[in-house]
Amino acid sequence: MHIEREQLGSEVVLKVAGRLDTPNAKPFEASLMEVVTTTDGGLLVNLAGVDYVSSSGLRALLVAGKAMRTAKRKLTLSSLQPQIREVFDISGFSTLFEIT
Amino acid sequence: MAIIAQILAGLGLLFVGLKIMSTHLQQATGRRVRHLLRTATRSPFAGLLCGTLAGAATQSSNAVAVISGNLVRGGVLATRDAIPIVAGGNVGTAALVFVAAIDFRLLVLYLVAMVGFGFQFKLDRRPAFKEWMGVALGLALVLLGLDYIKQGPRALDVSALAAFLDTGISPWIGFLLGLIAAAVSQSSSTPTILVVALMQSQVLGLDDSIVIVMGANLGSGISAVLTAGELEGTGRQLCYVHVLVKAVGCLLVGAVFLAAGWLGAEPVALLSQMGGGKASASLSLLFLALQVAGAVPVSFARGVTEAVAARLSPPTMEDGASKPRFIHERALGDFATALDLAEQEIMRLVKLLPTLLPDLDQQDQSGPAERLALWRGANAIGVAIEQFLSDLIARGVPRGSLETALHLQALVETVRTLQDTLHAFTEVVEGFADLPPLGFNLSESLRTIILSLADATDGDAEDLDLIITLAGDRSDLLSRIRRQLAASALGTGEDARQLLLATSLFERGVWLVRRGAVALRAPENEANPVVNAASGEARKREEADAHRT
Repeated sequence: MHIEREQLGSEVVLKVAGRLDTPNAKPFEASLMEVVTTTDGGLLVNLAGVDYVSSSGLRALLVAGKAMRTAKRKLTLSSLQPQIREVFDISGFSTLFEIT
Repeated sequence: MAIIAQILAGLGLLFVGLKIMSTHLQQATGRRVRHLLRTATRSPFAGLLCGTLAGAATQSSNAVAVISGNLVRGGVLATRDAIPIVAGGNVGTAALVFVAAIDFRLLVLYLVAMVGFGFQFKLDRRPAFKEWMGVALGLALVLLGLDYIKQGPRALDVSALAAFLDTGISPWIGFLLGLIAAAVSQSSSTPTILVVALMQSQVLGLDDSIVIVMGANLGSGISAVLTAGELEGTGRQLCYVHVLVKAVGCLLVGAVFLAAGWLGAEPVALLSQMGGGKASASLSLLFLALQVAGAVPVSFARGVTEAVAARLSPPTMEDGASKPRFIHERALGDFATALDLAEQEIMRLVKLLPTLLPDLDQQDQSGPAERLALWRGANAIGVAIEQFLSDLIARGVPRGSLETALHLQALVETVRTLQDTLHAFTEVVEGFADLPPLGFNLSESLRTIILSLADATDGDAEDLDLIITLAGDRSDLLSRIRRQLAASALGTGEDARQLLLATSLFERGVWLVRRGAVALRAPENEANPVVNAASGEARKREEADAHRT
């Protein structure tokens, strides 16, 4: 898994590539939470390079999503591949996150 | 031929009567027996006494062993506590042997008449009498059958037959006959009652009967293990306790007979003397002695018994998983504590839900056998909670507590249904040789939702709100997936059918998660009077909404 971080104005963009599986879930969650705790703007997670997501990866996003919601900040997901979008739809995550 | 037909008819009536009597006795006394056994943990003597009463009440040592096994698996009793109960159950079954030993011809006729009149006047349709009429019918058939067996050989030249049997049955053959008869009938008391009847007809003498009864005693123990089948762990341990009671009884009584012989005494004559010269009474005493001689040492050395049984059948994962951690019998006395404990036990079940699903992403995932054991264990805890709440409500809880108890009953019912749905879903997913992507997506999605629900039990109301949102209606999405599936290359194959089943189970699982989350959310509202004042109707709407979706 590879994560690139960019600052676009007040918003942080994380570009994620690879597999969001059990071994990568913790580092992924740590990267998300670092943005949550060290910045105060929105967070955009670009998942264009992600070709596999498991329950561990989804839970990492859920943890960050809850933290952002509590802080009344916006977390957006973007550029999901079709098979990844299907997981988000089936799991109900599409109703929790804004997906562009 | 008429004699053989009469004996066979007697045997038939005996078997049917025993079955009917045992079934109706268990129905009539089952709840009281269960309660009795729960109180039997004070000492080995108390356990032995309760087991004896339970054995006499059900006339089935197997029934006592099965009830005890369920109580052990439900965490109400420890295996150590169940040992004297199972041992005592054997002693209790001696009651029927004593009944068979008395001359009951007149009693049988009156009993048959009484039962017949009872059925004619529809007593069997009244709830208070229904089961007891069944017991009386069973007993009448048993005694009538015994009477047929006793009367049949009277037309024979009994002295010639007795002489033949006296010379034809060696002790070992007699022992083997008893062992086989008990293994076939799965009971030691049935062959013993038969032998008593044959003795009363003077077909068998006391010498032959002693070895047959000892063989029957050991045979019923062995049959308990043989019929245990694939039963493992604690359930099988209690079968080995059964064997130990029978084997120790045979060894000790056999040793007394041998010792008496070496000391120059006549053990058979002594037994005959103890029975007051009546062979059938002597044999009943022997049967009782075999049970007591086995039950007492096995009960009072229960530490050794437990170690032997555990070595022969080590506890399984299911045994560990099926023990409640919070609820216990004594808590029923305090409503507030009991409800609190029941709620904690339900929360524990919710936390265990993710273990029922496969983790397809993990390399070191637990296998199907382990998940099956966990599902059975979780199911047993669910049943124990339901029983606990039913017992609590039956005691007459105050109005406020009653509402909470009913709420918890509904919650545990939802959790149990969810357990079964997750288990069925897992079986479908694990049935694929090569899991299609849709199957993977459904499984990992359901796992995420279930993990979130488990986490929410430690969280706040917002976490439950999140679950309610996450588990919202997705029937349109799943209908679209099903249509796509039907139109795909998989369309007509077995894989497609299984995937369709998986989507249905997934949808049901998500609906149940939402229903559970709504129910879990409700007590939080009740704790907050401000929210509660406005939320009574809102809660009803939410629950109705969960039903609709």
